[in-house]
Amino acid sequence: MRFRADIGNANTFFKIWQAIEKQQKRCIIRFSENEMRIICNNDVNEGGIQVWSQIKARSLFTEYRVESNANNEITMTISTEALLSALRSASTPAGQTGSFAADADVVMRLIKKNGQAVLSFGISGTTRNGRQVRIAHDVRIDVMRPNDVQRLKEPMCPEPEVHIVLPPLAKLRTVVERLKPLAGDVVAIRANGSGCLQLSAQTDSARVDVSWKGLANPAMTRDANSQDPDAGDDSDMHDSSQMYGVLVSLKSLQKFLSSHVVSTTTIACMCVTQDL
Amino acid sequence: MPDDGADEEQDKVLIASVNDVRYLIALLRGVGFANRAVMSVAENGLSVAVEESRTLLATAYIFKGLFNEFNYHPELPQDAGDHDEQEQEVPNISFEIQLQTLIECMNIFGTAGGSAIPSGNKYRRWHQDANSDNENDRGEGASNRSNNRSNKTPANGRIDQYFGHEKGTGMRLTYAGSGFPLTLLIAEDSNGPTATCEITTFEADPMLSLDFLEYPTVMKIILKSSWLRDALSEIDQSCEKLTIICNPPPPAGRSAKIVAPPRLRLQAVGNFGSVEMDYPSDKEVLESCECDEQVSFSYRFSHISRTQRALQSSTKTSLRINEEGLLSLQLLMPTPRTRESGSSDGFIEFRCLPLDEEI
Repeated sequence: MRFRADIGNANTFFKIWQAIEKQQKRCIIRFSENEMRIICNNDVNEGGIQVWSQIKARSLFTEYRVESNANNEITMTISTEALLSALRSASTPAGQTGSFAADADVVMRLIKKNGQAVLSFGISGTTRNGRQVRIAHDVRIDVMRPNDVQRLKEPMCPEPEVHIVLPPLAKLRTVVERLKPLAGDVVAIRANGSGCLQLSAQTDSARVDVSWKGLANPAMTRDANSQDPDAGDDSDMHDSSQMYGVLVSLKSLQKFLSSHVVSTTTIACMCVTQDL
Repeated sequence: MPDDGADEEQDKVLIASVNDVRYLIALLRGVGFANRAVMSVAENGLSVAVEESRTLLATAYIFKGLFNEFNYHPELPQDAGDHDEQEQEVPNISFEIQLQTLIECMNIFGTAGGSAIPSGNKYRRWHQDANSDNENDRGEGASNRSNNRSNKTPANGRIDQYFGHEKGTGMRLTYAGSGFPLTLLIAEDSNGPTATCEITTFEADPMLSLDFLEYPTVMKIILKSSWLRDALSEIDQSCEKLTIICNPPPPAGRSAKIVAPPRLRLQAVGNFGSVEMDYPSDKEVLESCECDEQVSFSYRFSHISRTQRALQSSTKTSLRINEEGLLSLQLLMPTPRTRESGSSDGFIEFRCLPLDEEI
């Protein structure tokens, strides 16, 4: 089992983990030949949020090599907090002058130390005064057995009724934060095919609807993993002003919105029977 | 704007709109120490009243002139929409609302000020900064403002409001009558999001009625709010009792002035000691002070300290006490911008009954 990757864009990598860390304390990473997958599927926070992300290895890593007996895939569980603090030494927070003169080189390797598998981060950079610095972090991991790995199944999602690009998450977050005292535990999110998004909350004392108009409805290519292969092109079938709505837990929504650091464009899919 | 036709709008008891909610929020927060509030609508504006322990009554007066649009069509409950009957008597309507909910709704975009979109974690700090900036502006501009206002032509102030010279969250408030919710339509800017809030209204319970003019006034002081605010913030929250003592002006003569008791004294007694604060008889401090003989009444400090929030954004305070000891504090809340002449600033009035025991 061998794994080694040079992280080309340490800042982006750091931001991704910042977002993931907000969601769960422990997560699963799967490195396969071309992709890195981050999976959070614990049942904390009422099972409200799961993260299933796929990132092309090429977009993050400059050099990437993974070898294993299990189809050249390595799946591990890792503490997000520990990983994040390891990466913190490598990243340059936006707007601040970092500790390094240039972007640091970060090498991520899977090694065994004292009989314990660790993900070792070697960070080397040059300080402002031109000195070479090397920082090493070892983050303990558990490699998952192939049996457990096989049990990981992405949740089934029906074909969404509508896709919509959300307004800037930071802005959405402010509104959701304000809605908190006005809503119980759930808020309704509705969207239609003509760029309208609605966020509604209701309690005995008030009913609030916040709506955005003129958002984009991206044309999505049909997801190959969808279980609905027979559905034709739905844009003709649906009335574009028809609103599709779901109820989501406010807590989960807030948690999701706290990942706003990483995103520029967010697409929400309304599946009448499922969540975001 | 809602899709209501013109006919439908006619049926509304109240339609009021304002292009910047910040000032309204400041007024409402000033009385926001309790959740249950009675909103009364009259021809000349709105008032929001809040009471505590049947002792303290706080009312925020928001005059018609503060709104860009203010239409009040009172209706008799039995036959809605019949205009002839209404004109015989113009009744005030009042209903009860959850004040915190109202404030939260108005502030749904977190835009108590500024146009920048706050990003993430910095949000809280930014928010507070914006508030304190406003207050500073108000404080400094207070004296200039009165001059400005007299120079401006009526049209000038008004037309500016439509061109959004300052960016704010606009709001349109409608109320269709007893039993209907109070509907707020809030928009940050023309292409941004809009929020529609329907706030449940309740039938108003009769509020505490404290008639200040029932007995003759024995003390009347006008001072800068900051003088009172600073004094009150010095007093420890554990204090139970605050005594207000006011003395008549000293007789003429230099020597008498020095030994004379202070014109106004605030005295607080708590578990850990007592505090006395004197205000000198100086025009700089006490703008006016009318008092013929010594006045001394005690109030529960927890009640008096309810005024602090409102004091923060007000410029001038009128402090009056009548013969029975009923305290009336009127806090002038300056509008953030010049208005057409004829409209007046909103104010908040606190009335508080004295403690029974005498010192």
